[in-house]
Amino acid sequence: MITHKDQLELFQLISSQLDQNVECYVFGGTAMMFYGYKGETKDIDLLFQNISAREAFMDALRKLGYSESSPLTIYIPEKLKDKHAPIMLKRDESRFDLFTDKIFQTLLSQKMKNDLFAVHEFKTKHTLTMKVLRTEFIVMLKSVTERNKDFEDILTIVKKDKNFAWDYFIDEVLWQTAQGDGWVLLDVEKMMKELKKYVFIEEKWFKKLYGKDKK
Amino acid sequence: MKRAEQLRLLEGLHTVETVAETLRITPQAALNLLGKLKKEQQVTVSGGGRRKRLYKITLRKQLPRVPGMFDIINKYSPNFQVNPWYDHQVHGKYGPEEALIDVLQTESFRLILASMHLFNHITDWPKLYQLAQKKDCWQKVGALYDVARMFMKVRKMPEKYRECVKMRWLTLTQLTKKNFPEISKIWKVYIPFNPNDVRQAL
Repeated sequence: MITHKDQLELFQLISSQLDQNVECYVFGGTAMMFYGYKGETKDIDLLFQNISAREAFMDALRKLGYSESSPLTIYIPEKLKDKHAPIMLKRDESRFDLFTDKIFQTLLSQKMKNDLFAVHEFKTKHTLTMKVLRTEFIVMLKSVTERNKDFEDILTIVKKDKNFAWDYFIDEVLWQTAQGDGWVLLDVEKMMKELKKYVFIEEKWFKKLYGKDKK
Repeated sequence: MKRAEQLRLLEGLHTVETVAETLRITPQAALNLLGKLKKEQQVTVSGGGRRKRLYKITLRKQLPRVPGMFDIINKYSPNFQVNPWYDHQVHGKYGPEEALIDVLQTESFRLILASMHLFNHITDWPKLYQLAQKKDCWQKVGALYDVARMFMKVRKMPEKYRECVKMRWLTLTQLTKKNFPEISKIWKVYIPFNPNDVRQAL
């Protein structure tokens, strides 16, 4: 497990090992730590826009003693068949899940790129730029990744984020579906039904989600 | 009462008295609770001395920040503040030179207007020139500098940096207005703001 302070030190160290400037999007437990919703995390989920950026990042991780590990016990086997499944690098208790271009079938949309919560730049010789996504996107992506504790994290976000925009969230889910993501709608529906047991979710959001199905 | 529930009730700005009143506890108990919450990074305190202490309580931890682009702009532009639309933090060396280049990448009218105050704090012109060359925006820096020096006190830019190749017309924002025609012509940059806009930013 790594704490917020640890992760800042780790990213600074990674940036010192980079051979080029790298930019990535942060969406898992790491993002929640940047928000202050979580004290520690095991997995660091990052999304890169191209393979060369991911390779540069992986090279830096290897220099720090990280090595590839199998995602088999972490993700659902069906999802791992997808060509956009992550590459995992692990060292001791910390693990990096590195995606490129898509998180399984879910695209990095223009909205995700433009509507950021935070940007953290780690500057040494080269710069590691980490763009933290909005909570709505984190919840959507956590619904898609479906790992242990992902639901707990979703619950924490929805409980603590008073400004969680359901409308915005469902719009993005529907947009992703329209772009050909075959999982996001089902995963989000399943998550929302489970979430309803713990927090109040207005019926209209379910209707909005199903409305697209009927079409 | 559980901590999460207490936080939900208290979220916002408080004094010791309002905390005590909200939770129906004594002021001393409220102080003890605020001390605990402060340790857990859920509270930040402002005021003190002659001024009443105010406690900002949030559901999420209030993590320590390092300054970024917006912090530097707002630090040097006291009368024309910018409301950040995302949290920008830079871990490492970051000063007015880097901030100015980052501002130009945003293409934000208000941010660029506010950034003109940075020219009074630029001490490392070679560094600024190098950073601007990397982003291909030295023309923009030069044009902005010339506008800034008409209205405010700025540090002098070494003359050698005026001589640069200006191949094509560039825009500071999405607007292609030709305000300040002379400066615009020298640097081949469309300047979106007019003298009145600049005066507002002083």
